Amino acid sequence: MSVAAPSPACALELEDIVFAYPARADSGNGQLYAGFSLTVGLGSILALMGPSGSGKSTLGRMMAGLLTPQAGNVCWSEQFANRWDVVYVDQHAINSVFPWQTVAENIKYPLQKLGWDRARRQERICYLMSLLRIGALADAYPASLSGGELQRVALARCLSWKPQLVILDEPFSALDRRVKAEIIAALQELAPRDGMTLVLITHNVADALALGTRCVVIGQRPVRIISDREFTTAYPREPGTRDYVAMQQTLIAGIRDGLV
Amino acid sequence: MAWFKRNSRALLFVAALVGVWAAVTALRLVDPIVLPSPASVARAVPRMLRERLLSDVALTLGRVLGALAIACLFGIPLGLYLGYRKGMYQVIESPLHALRSIPASALFPLFLIIIGVGEKSIVALAAYPSLLVILVNAVSGATLANKRRLYQARLLGLDTLDTITEVLFYEALPNIFDGIRTAVSYALLLVIAVEMFIGLDERGLGRAIYEYQSTYRIPETYGAIIVAGVIGILLNAVVSQIEHRMLRWLPNVQED
Repeated sequence: MSVAAPSPACALELEDIVFAYPARADSGNGQLYAGFSLTVGLGSILALMGPSGSGKSTLGRMMAGLLTPQAGNVCWSEQFANRWDVVYVDQHAINSVFPWQTVAENIKYPLQKLGWDRARRQERICYLMSLLRIGALADAYPASLSGGELQRVALARCLSWKPQLVILDEPFSALDRRVKAEIIAALQELAPRDGMTLVLITHNVADALALGTRCVVIGQRPVRIISDREFTTAYPREPGTRDYVAMQQTLIAGIRDGLV
Repeated sequence: MAWFKRNSRALLFVAALVGVWAAVTALRLVDPIVLPSPASVARAVPRMLRERLLSDVALTLGRVLGALAIACLFGIPLGLYLGYRKGMYQVIESPLHALRSIPASALFPLFLIIIGVGEKSIVALAAYPSLLVILVNAVSGATLANKRRLYQARLLGLDTLDTITEVLFYEALPNIFDGIRTAVSYALLLVIAVEMFIGLDERGLGRAIYEYQSTYRIPETYGAIIVAGVIGILLNAVVSQIEHRMLRWLPNVQED
């Protein structure tokens, strides 16, 4: 990981990334990434799309520092001084919940560990529990919750300490439509409020359009950016408006073009 | 009352066993020297109580609990640490399994030489296999810890001690209880066996069984054996109670 700080307004800068998985027996598919660059602005919500198998998760994991590219730089804003400022949350996020703690304890624990004082802690817990509608579950153990409730608890836990850069990798794939809508609404409020930079990795155009302030489609091999569009319509966004439909078509076309 | 209802089948089975036993002795199918009737064993119990039964039970129980305490105190932290530092565990895994496959009773003469005849060597010998089985279970529980929760621990900057006491301990707790359950039977078995061989003034249940047998007080021998069995059942029930309380958060269905 490079120490060079990106330009001031950047949360994240990927520069000439080269990455290849160890060659698999069934294919001699060379490099997945061969000189890929992308900058993510501070406070933006980047919806990262692409056909399945296009390397979205790999990119997300490199953004979070969980995978190191073989060449090139990944730099985070120098504002992100702590390791916990950058969080990667995947579709199995429910497993990041501690089953031996109640819902409230799960949200409190990271704050305790990071030394938040009692009053701030209490305020944050209350806010998150009401935002994600899990207040009634405060004293319940995770084992007694439904999948949707658990996903909301997991999100509350991972976002409790106001991480600065959050990479959400297919966070909605196991959720029904109603729970997904609730979580998206919560993120629409939370991200700007906490000044959070969000990278939403998804294959679902509607999810990307519900949340993204910028939509990037990646694809082909080696991976390149197929389309990169700002989308600044205010929340909540109505499907069917002219902007929305235009973006929708761009993304769908981009994903088609991204197929290897 | 609720307890009786819940365990009615088990109680019925025990009653049936005693019934068969009574029938066998009433019909004189077996020499009463070898197998006395349930009634004569029951009559032996008040005699035993007037003698030393309670102090024998207390001594044996104390030794078993002492051995289990030592096993938990050292086995759990050590096992969790080794599960956390997997590289270190790989180094000692084979020697550890070699140690485990030596019957603890075979080591008893060694313990006598090293520790001497007495209370300590009984407890130490019982603690030894109990510790190993708890340790191995703690290691495997810690090794199987969920990666996403460990990522959280790393992210929050938890140090080794916090990671072990606040994350791995809970991750491994179901396995640790499996280990403790096995350890309970090891400890009881070894304490009673070793008591038979050591003629301490504080004799314990094992010695009591041995002495009753060698003075041909056969009903008392059976009585003491049954008491030993009851101790085993009670210890298991206590462990189950503690487990139930400490693991009430455990999901019934295993997650991925």
